[in-house]
Amino acid sequence: MAETMLELKNVEAGYGEFRVLHGINLRVDKGEIVALVGPNGAGKTTTLRTILRMTTLYNGEIRFKGKDIRHLPTHKIVEEGVTMVPEGRGIFNPLTVYENLVAGAYTKKAQEKMDDTLEFVFSLFPRLKERRNQIAGTLSGGEAQMLAIARAIMSRPEVLMFDEPSLGLAPKIVLEVFDTVVKLRDEANMTILIVEQHVKNSLEIADRAYVMEMGQIVLEGEGKALLNDERLKKAYLII
Amino acid sequence: MIDPSLVANNVIDGVLMGLLYSLVALGLALVFGVMDIINFAHGDFVMIAAYLSWLLAMAFWLDPSIIAVITVPVFFLIGVAVYKLVIEPILGAEPLIQIAVTVGLGYVFQNVALGIWKAEPKSFPNPWFNFSIDLGPVTLTVAKLMAAAISLISLYLVHYLLTNTKFGLAIRATSANREVAPLMGINVRKVYAITFGLGIALTALGASLYMSWGQTNPYLGQSFSLLSWVIVAMGGLGGVVGVLYSGLIVGILEALGTTFFTASARLAVVYIAFFLLLWFRPRGLFARR
Repeated sequence: MAETMLELKNVEAGYGEFRVLHGINLRVDKGEIVALVGPNGAGKTTTLRTILRMTTLYNGEIRFKGKDIRHLPTHKIVEEGVTMVPEGRGIFNPLTVYENLVAGAYTKKAQEKMDDTLEFVFSLFPRLKERRNQIAGTLSGGEAQMLAIARAIMSRPEVLMFDEPSLGLAPKIVLEVFDTVVKLRDEANMTILIVEQHVKNSLEIADRAYVMEMGQIVLEGEGKALLNDERLKKAYLII
Repeated sequence: MIDPSLVANNVIDGVLMGLLYSLVALGLALVFGVMDIINFAHGDFVMIAAYLSWLLAMAFWLDPSIIAVITVPVFFLIGVAVYKLVIEPILGAEPLIQIAVTVGLGYVFQNVALGIWKAEPKSFPNPWFNFSIDLGPVTLTVAKLMAAAISLISLYLVHYLLTNTKFGLAIRATSANREVAPLMGINVRKVYAITFGLGIALTALGASLYMSWGQTNPYLGQSFSLLSWVIVAMGGLGGVVGVLYSGLIVGILEALGTTFFTASARLAVVYIAFFLLLWFRPRGLFARR
């Protein structure tokens, strides 16, 4: 059986007094693509942020490769090997494309491998190589998303989480993003946890998926199986 | 008719002072740009550092500018400590709370200074570099020339730190997006602590240089604070270069105010020019679009 990379047990979390997650149980194994789907406000983003300690955790366990990471600050969790492509991309606008990528390789481990990783991300996104000296704030939405993904790769994560990576992108580019996600698993040995509004696309590439509603997991199963689940079809899939 | 050599002399003096103002304002700009906190006590750090420079100069009988080798590292550490104790607890708080806390800190400094040293001005009686050299029609004060040169070098060093080092990149990334920077493995709290320490270290350098000809009193900080805000607001998004140009403009305006009006009207000239600037370019001289 594959190694368990991420494990959440009975996680209750939120923002200050405002509880969003009411007991989440979730597991991501090595080499998997796991999708987290559900309506707006279900707590998908909060789940990702809680893993990175960007919320208030009231209760529950969070483990990365068996290690308790509940009390590590965000930048230490990134050093351990988990990072996220944030919603809205979060590009460092005033910096150049190249500087954004170097910032991505900030940890010691990542810095040592920076040349190799750069070569890899430039082969993945040749456009970024062409635009390496451009100010990142002037990139188009699709290019900015590529940069956000490339920057996350620069930290050499073992688990890469995506928060709504297709938000605000043209349909053709959305497909490219999903292709990239699969490539990262297949060619770079990454384990993926993806939150998406394009339920159909993400279930198609996902090995397993969790469906969230009102801060709880209401359904889980293989991606393809969920794709045919009548309840889910009724709720979201009629796109 | 105003004597042209007087104008030239005053403008040169303005350029030299402008470089010193840029140095002090850079500290404020760094803290504001990276942490989004306006430190209303910024000038009061200059004042306290000026007293420390004076005290140590008296104790060792060395020129205050030499004392910078002590005040700069000491104030870096003071800056880090103030960050931890005072600033970190109010990060992300409402602006009103941040204003109240930093204004209050400034008053504490002023009243401590008033309590210890009273209101009478203090200066070092045996300055080494406070003499003039004549270059044709212009006369230069060596201490100011030295302060300006060291300020310019320091501005360049900070610029280099920001643009050419790994930690500088972390500072700029944090400034650009403090929510996302930790996802790169950047320790944002550490970036804040060091940035604040650096900002305060710059006030100490400015103060020690200034004390090699100037004098301090408990209210010295107010003019440094005001000038720094004007420079930062004018410099806008221009980075170190923006601060440098704005400082020069402020220094020269001040000198022209002295020349064409009176010494007491010089700040009025600066503020009127600032007011007009904000009217026509509300986002500063260096704002993009």
